[in-house]
Amino acid sequence: MKNDLWVEKYRPTSIKDIIGNEEAKTVFTEWLENKRPTKKAVLLYGPPGVGKTTLVNAAANEYKFRIIEMNASDTRSEKAVNRIANPATSFTGLDKFSSEIKGNMLFMDEVDGIAGNEDRGGVNAIIKIIENTRTPIIMAANDCELEKLRPLKKLCLLIRFQQTRIPLIIMALKKICEQEHITYEFAALEKIATNSQGDVRSAINDLQGLSEEGKTLTEQDTLALGSRSKDISMYDTLKSYFATKNIAEAVSLLNFSNVEYDDLLMAIGDNIPRRHSNPVDLAEAYNYLSQADVFRGKIGTENWHLLKYVYNNLAQAAAVNPESYKPFEFISPPIRVITLFWTKSKRTMLNSICTKISAQCHISKYETKMIYIPYLRLMLQQKKKANTLIKWLKLTSEEVTFLTSLKMF
Amino acid sequence: MVVNEEALMWVEKYRPKILRDVVDQHDIVESLKAFMKNPKVMPHLMFAGIPGTGKTTTALCIAHELFGIQNWRNFTLELNASDERGIDTVRERVKDFSRYSRGAFGDVPFALIILDECDQMTGPAQTALRRIMETSSRTSRFILICNQSSKIIEPIQSRCAIFRFSRLDRTAMIEHLKDIAKKEKVDISVEAVERIVDYAEGDLRHAINALQTAAAYKDGSPVDERIVSQIIGEASPKQVQLMLNKAINGDFIEARRVMYDIIGTYGFSGTEIIRQMQKELFKISYIPPEQKAELSNIIGEYDYRLTQGANSDLQLSALLAQFAKAGKALGENS
Amino acid sequence: MLLNKKGFKLPRVEKEKFITLIRLGLEYDNQKMLFSVKNYNNINQLRDTLQDILKSEISFTQTCNICNIDFGCSTCKYAKACPTKDLPFSCVCNQCLRPKKQIQQQLF
Repeated sequence: MKNDLWVEKYRPTSIKDIIGNEEAKTVFTEWLENKRPTKKAVLLYGPPGVGKTTLVNAAANEYKFRIIEMNASDTRSEKAVNRIANPATSFTGLDKFSSEIKGNMLFMDEVDGIAGNEDRGGVNAIIKIIENTRTPIIMAANDCELEKLRPLKKLCLLIRFQQTRIPLIIMALKKICEQEHITYEFAALEKIATNSQGDVRSAINDLQGLSEEGKTLTEQDTLALGSRSKDISMYDTLKSYFATKNIAEAVSLLNFSNVEYDDLLMAIGDNIPRRHSNPVDLAEAYNYLSQADVFRGKIGTENWHLLKYVYNNLAQAAAVNPESYKPFEFISPPIRVITLFWTKSKRTMLNSICTKISAQCHISKYETKMIYIPYLRLMLQQKKKANTLIKWLKLTSEEVTFLTSLKMF
Repeated sequence: MVVNEEALMWVEKYRPKILRDVVDQHDIVESLKAFMKNPKVMPHLMFAGIPGTGKTTTALCIAHELFGIQNWRNFTLELNASDERGIDTVRERVKDFSRYSRGAFGDVPFALIILDECDQMTGPAQTALRRIMETSSRTSRFILICNQSSKIIEPIQSRCAIFRFSRLDRTAMIEHLKDIAKKEKVDISVEAVERIVDYAEGDLRHAINALQTAAAYKDGSPVDERIVSQIIGEASPKQVQLMLNKAINGDFIEARRVMYDIIGTYGFSGTEIIRQMQKELFKISYIPPEQKAELSNIIGEYDYRLTQGANSDLQLSALLAQFAKAGKALGENS
Repeated sequence: MLLNKKGFKLPRVEKEKFITLIRLGLEYDNQKMLFSVKNYNNINQLRDTLQDILKSEISFTQTCNICNIDFGCSTCKYAKACPTKDLPFSCVCNQCLRPKKQIQQQLF
């Protein structure tokens, strides 16, 4: 059960359950039902993850037709296309034909994946099929502006799919949470949805990745989302970094990597303790990392001539006591994302709370943070007794909520 | 004891208002009483000692006894060196205060300036402070409060009568807590009180806060050791100490996890954590003085790097690694 | 300028422009004398053409598919992050999205 991919598990099986793109759905179903004089082929186009494939499958389900599918991984040479799409030589075989099925549909996904030469006239073959076939043809593409698709477009009804709007994505996530019995903070769903940039599929994947059975999904959990797109090259860079055999190799690697320096510093900082079990080596490696960071600080936004010192120190850190290395698994994305919780506004709020308390209690703000806040946030949990305390400290209800919500270890 | 009825944090409500009520600092109180009798001869004062032993309380009591419980605020300026932005703001505030306060009250020919955490001030700032003290000595007396008098420059020390506040006696703390518990009608076992006092390590503010939290914790039910343990576990202001101990004992990855908890849960900045590390280092008994000094210098080095560098948690991690290294050396030598 | 996708007026346009608009997906109701969006395939071009005609930036209302009211994207909390705002589709309004507060698990 736990190995279910939610994008599959919750893929809509009926057209009405597909979120967004109402208008596209309407046009498509009208075409299927043959309501107006229309073209033999339809081209669904739009960004990935918005429901094109889902719509085709759902429609096949509802209108009871069989899909004969070809997609980008198939060779699209003329021969291959003919072999599959010509009903007389169809792979599916007539013995699988069920009396309930009303007919076949040919479905070609990712037609914009047809390259110029490799597919040897794949576009022409498709055009021939459209012209000669009686089987309706559905195609899907991400980008239909490609020049090579122009002759194809003339023969198709074009249906455009839009990226899904945020409120609709939130609704979808809500539904999944309800069915998976996940408790959540609304703000967490908001974050996942806004981060997805209209791609429902990745939003659902993110939801599945972040949620854990028996735990509430909180806004703080979603902070790990930001580094998604950077992970791939970071992983490769880290892998190569920890595989270098000498300083020169490390410097060379760092020069060619296009990973952000600050992310890299953090990632190396997270991973270096896993390499060194001897504290003397670890202290030495960290010392170099620390110096690299100082130079990074000195660069600021202008002094890029200092970058070589950053690299040199990182390289030195990579080369501490090579004999002692043992292989280990990387941590990525960086642990540090937790600290992003403390945004400027939260720091400001904590600061103003400490100011109020320090004024009443003859202590510094620093001491308030260290000695009073840890207890105060527990004292405030008892609403009844806490009312007079809150009044005396002049805390607003927003501040009280903030204090009592500070997470525990 | 005079109680501040409106104050609802017990640390404030039961903060002694007169010198006689100050907990367990009899010798200091006796010496101060002599000055109270003849305020004209009172010099600048310096109160030094570990946190939570009554320094601020004593300074405030002096203000009360000199100027009366109703009016003392008119004749007293309270400043905290770590909250003020710099020595210039301190100078401005002292100047303004000297200008607008009523400089004399009956027998008392001066106003009082209480400056807390002055060991946090840099050398140059302290030099400037000395000059401020001189120029306002006709109209004001300073009470300087610090944890380590060794961090105060010589010229200031020589101008002050220095009082060293020692760690509070365990029995005195227990009695004080029991007294508060009685007044607040808190049903608490003796073992629970003792547990609190042990945890507080001589800091009465921790102890009173823990008591108040325990009382609030389970509405109305008696406070036993179990509840106290829970409070201690959840309030956990000892995380920096925990982090240091783990690093020294070689559990680096765990120490780093605690570091991220501190940053994540309480929003402490790198500088604040380092500051607390200095304080905690000071308290660790099993590190001999030479190594302590060396480690203190290392903390200073990384404090500097923190201000220069871009990644405070990287610098903190590197500092923890140094502690792990020192811990290993300690283990090998013993 | 916020156009209600269910029906809006336009100033008088010349025949060529009118034909373009119809080709791009608008429909004209002779009785009510209102335009509405019928076909969404060329919605971006349609919007651009309308912006030319009306000489101002255009947004369309959304229709909430739960409570059925029309609302503009500018009233929505997520407008900034949203990839297809201001186009006349159906959506969910902020009120229907979050009818009541979720009970958060006690952290204590």
